[in-house]
Amino acid sequence: MYHTYIATFFSHFGAIRFSRELKKKGMKATVMPVPRNLSSSCGTCVSYESENWDAAGISEELEQIVRVVDEGYQKVYEG
Amino acid sequence: MKNEKITIGIAGILIGIIAVGLVFFGNPANMGFCIACFIRDTAGGLGLHRAAPVQYIRPEIIGLVLGAFLMAVGRKEFSVKGGSSPVTRFVLGFFVMIGCLMFLGCPFRMILRMAGGDLNAYIGLVGFAAGILVGIFFLNNGYTLKRTYKQSTSEGLMFPVIQVVLLVLLVAAPAFIFFSEEGPGSKHAAVIISLAAGLIVGAAAQLTRLCMVGGIRDMILFKESKLLIGFVAIFAAALIGNLALGSFNLAMAGQPIAHTDGLWNFLGMLLVGYGCALLGGCPLRQLVLSGEGNVDSAVTVLGLAAGAAFCHNFGLASSAEGPTANGKIAVIIGIVVVTVIAAANTFRKEK
Repeated sequence: MYHTYIATFFSHFGAIRFSRELKKKGMKATVMPVPRNLSSSCGTCVSYESENWDAAGISEELEQIVRVVDEGYQKVYEG
Repeated sequence: MKNEKITIGIAGILIGIIAVGLVFFGNPANMGFCIACFIRDTAGGLGLHRAAPVQYIRPEIIGLVLGAFLMAVGRKEFSVKGGSSPVTRFVLGFFVMIGCLMFLGCPFRMILRMAGGDLNAYIGLVGFAAGILVGIFFLNNGYTLKRTYKQSTSEGLMFPVIQVVLLVLLVAAPAFIFFSEEGPGSKHAAVIISLAAGLIVGAAAQLTRLCMVGGIRDMILFKESKLLIGFVAIFAAALIGNLALGSFNLAMAGQPIAHTDGLWNFLGMLLVGYGCALLGGCPLRQLVLSGEGNVDSAVTVLGLAAGAAFCHNFGLASSAEGPTANGKIAVIIGIVVVTVIAAANTFRKEK
């Protein structure tokens, strides 16, 4: 089943690279500012739709990945 | 998303009104808030530099950190982390302060100066945006100061506790604490008013992630206007406040605590925008993050304070008469150092 995921990063470039990986696999990815209700940090995140959250692999730049659910966010990975 | 825009718009209006109110209650003109000036004044109050007109422990700074701290605790967002190149951040903070004191204001005061009709600040804004653009070039090409790590709670409490100590020193006023008798440092609202203003603005800025650098950065990177709305709302509210109080004066010359050297106003703010883009936030944002438990931001604020002390000890800070020769050299060195830091953290070999 497809879910919407949001990945946050320790650096802006981490997000750029992550989104490039997804796009290479033919997936849709949007680079955008981190939503306020997800975090008080003001970095860059990537929103993407996928069957599995680790579609783009894990890098040391990855802070966390959450699945977007009705109640808000569900953490699936933390760096 | 729409709600976030409304919240930050309201917060911006509130902050703009408070800023004009602080001037009404005694702060220097167009200086309801200035993070750079106030950290500089605090460094002077502690005797870290001996420029007699700018010595006063500013309660606004104390309030900003504690307001952000209390809001973060209340929202369960107090999260202690650090270890992302702290010494590099210290150096960036140091040179951001040199840029601020060339221009005579942080990005926050730049907006307040614009709202007071100070045309020199508009030149500063162009430099500020240019600096952010250069920073974004590095951000898009791999720049990173590496990741943060979780730290102990006591580590995160250290900086807020230091603010309480500063407040005690201000109120107790022992003989070794300096208080300006004339000049900008002698002009201030009552302690309780300044402290309350800082607490409210710190809490609002934590809630909305308000950031002068972030506003322009997100607009360029994502065409995302949310943070910029906060920026514009502060400007609009302060402009209306200044017009209402008759303190609006549209001119280059004769502006309060400002000089008319366009080139150095531009280059000073270019250094600020550049350094802050690499730090990930303006001086106000660094204070707020330090209240949230980000100890790297606390180190950055210490870098700002050290920079301020050096600025006055080495004669780098501008005055109403204009920039100093030493200050010009320091800004050039700053731009070079920041570029070396940017390049070293962008074009490195992958492991």
